[in-house]
Amino acid sequence: MQDHVTRRAFLAAAGAAGAAWLAADPELVQAALAHARQTVGSPPPYRFAALTAAEAAGLEAIAMRILPSDETPGAKEAGVIHFMDKALSTYAAARKGPVLAGLDDLDKRATSKWPGTTSFTALTPARQDELLKVIEQSDFFREIRDATVIGMFANPSYGGNQNQVGWKLLNFQAHGVYQPPFGYYDAEARKGG
Amino acid sequence: MQVRPRITYPTTTEVDFVVVGSGAAGGVMAKELSTRGFSLVVLEQGPRLEPSQFEHDEFKYLFNNGISNPSPVSWRKTDKEEAKVGAGELLYARLVGGSSVHFTANFWRLHEIDFIERSRLGGIPGADLQNWPISYADLEPYYTKVDWEIGVSGEPGPFDPPRSRPYPLPPMPVKSAGVLFERGARKLGLHPQSAPVAILSRPFNGRNACQHCGYCMQFGCEYNAKSSSLASVIPVAEATGKCEIRSNSYVRKVEIDARGRAIGVTYFDAQKQEHLQRAKAVVLCANGAETPRLLLMSESNRFPHGLANSSGRVGKTLMFNVGAGAFGLFEHELNEYRSIQVTRLLHDFYDSDPKRGYYGGGGIDARFQKYPITWALGGLPDDAPRWGSEYKRMVGDYFNRSMLLAGHTTSLPVPSNSISLDPTVKDAWGLPAIRVTYDDHPDDLKISQFLLDRSMEILDAAGAQKKWVDYPAETATFTAHLLGTCRMGKDPTTSVIDTDHRTHDVRNLFLCDGSSMVTSGRGQPTMTIMALAFRAGERIAALAQRGEI
Repeated sequence: MQDHVTRRAFLAAAGAAGAAWLAADPELVQAALAHARQTVGSPPPYRFAALTAAEAAGLEAIAMRILPSDETPGAKEAGVIHFMDKALSTYAAARKGPVLAGLDDLDKRATSKWPGTTSFTALTPARQDELLKVIEQSDFFREIRDATVIGMFANPSYGGNQNQVGWKLLNFQAHGVYQPPFGYYDAEARKGG
Repeated sequence: MQVRPRITYPTTTEVDFVVVGSGAAGGVMAKELSTRGFSLVVLEQGPRLEPSQFEHDEFKYLFNNGISNPSPVSWRKTDKEEAKVGAGELLYARLVGGSSVHFTANFWRLHEIDFIERSRLGGIPGADLQNWPISYADLEPYYTKVDWEIGVSGEPGPFDPPRSRPYPLPPMPVKSAGVLFERGARKLGLHPQSAPVAILSRPFNGRNACQHCGYCMQFGCEYNAKSSSLASVIPVAEATGKCEIRSNSYVRKVEIDARGRAIGVTYFDAQKQEHLQRAKAVVLCANGAETPRLLLMSESNRFPHGLANSSGRVGKTLMFNVGAGAFGLFEHELNEYRSIQVTRLLHDFYDSDPKRGYYGGGGIDARFQKYPITWALGGLPDDAPRWGSEYKRMVGDYFNRSMLLAGHTTSLPVPSNSISLDPTVKDAWGLPAIRVTYDDHPDDLKISQFLLDRSMEILDAAGAQKKWVDYPAETATFTAHLLGTCRMGKDPTTSVIDTDHRTHDVRNLFLCDGSSMVTSGRGQPTMTIMALAFRAGERIAALAQRGEI
């Protein structure tokens, strides 16, 4: 088989919605990088480029259920919302409308299921999970799921994976140079084990 | 080696050769022609990048065409369907050095059987299986030349074809996946071997040895340890003072005069301005998709069905190499993201075996498969959760404890599988997009499944705690191997080029790349493409010297 099945496998898994977060034009990715460099260094209060504070809180709340902060840092600590904001203000700008429509729908579901609730963000994590399970097959959820994952594990220069928390989760020691042994089994073989 | 300043030729100067493409074949061709004293211009679609400009950026390189082709490709299974953009994808790099810059550098020779399978097995229904007009023995000196001129690391394996000289460099150090694979395969009575790679295990010809950073597959090597044409032969060509590598130059047509001879090529520069580069002869090394496309785009009154296409075979019998892959999970950390992708492989099933009841053969290797984003998006088994705490735990826990066994198999030359011009879709230059028509021969999928079954057994024998299919044995909608579309043959009615790589129809037009291949081999075609280019370069130079072009 090919040595390059990765992107194909992703596209097959993600479908069109997830793929929209991948720019076809490298120049647009450069624009996103420039954005990310600018805003990561800027002092608080942080201003989002594409999202209002409430919209950002809503998307971040979903991302936090996809990659929760538990024994290890999750989407929040990784700053996945900053990755999303950069993308939605540059190469994935066309997705902003559908994404916000999906978020609005989620808020409506929250208020209708638990009257008095103002938004999805305001729910307890357990109730958030309950609601997300209902929509987990939807294009909206899959899109946010894929964007969360990309933001968590892409180079920090894209705005997420801050302090490399995504890579630390994998114990992926990025960008090193190595000498053998590389892992347990080749070390064992070298010892004659 | 005396180094002269890089030369540039005005387009109005008629050079001896214009070579289209600077990849595995084009780079070698440039070196072979320029070192024999010929003047030449190599036109490359993409930019020129220095090794220091290569980045470890998965999002950019794997998902955003960092150095690969952004042009649209339409795809369909059969010619009864309308091809759709997005239904499939071709992957090739677009920069000086071509796909030899971003390939994984697995470097297999073809075996003797690959050249003569038609004689051994007879015809295969639904395919146009033919012998090569040259043999392994004819090509062996050039395989050896590749080994020693670009730098290849390895050691002979039990099923290897004969070689006239040892590898120039010892094999790369075995990784944990290689150790486990070897353990499992040996338990089953099989014969795993070191994987030959076009990556330097030791310093060679003034280049660095591999630093084991892990970014080979789809990345450029910033250490110059991967033996791309950019790292190996292009500097030699340029040092002659006879060869200009002209980047950002996208060829749209081979120009033909009233006598039916090629006079040069028309190309777009970076500003999309058109130029004609004149040359005494034209060599297309643009890859197995772009070379037939360029011939088809070069149609004229004299050649109404595309240039050099009197046989009707330009673009036909497209082959990929097929295969399926499975992950295994082990108790301890393998850390497969470190060092090169593959260190051990298995060729016990290389030959076709009539007892299996279908055609085909191949190899299996153990490898690192998925960088972090790709892993987290789709690396886990189908029964794993796709979000939440348990998903997060598994993504972290499995990443360093898993390896992929990948099958690499034959792809039969099916006449209806082809590269053609899409009638409506255009690229950013207004040229017709590549249209792929491809459906695997049933035997390709059967041998692919056979190797997947063997992979599962090896994972069990190696002590895998869990195993799962990453990609099944199904018809390909993705490839980086572009083969067989302008095949070599003695009969001008059934092939496009002769054994000198000269087109049957145009005396001073030559083709050399994956399109020349008559059979697919079992995977990893780049070494054969380079060997063909060394041989073709020598023969084309000899023809020119004798005044026979």
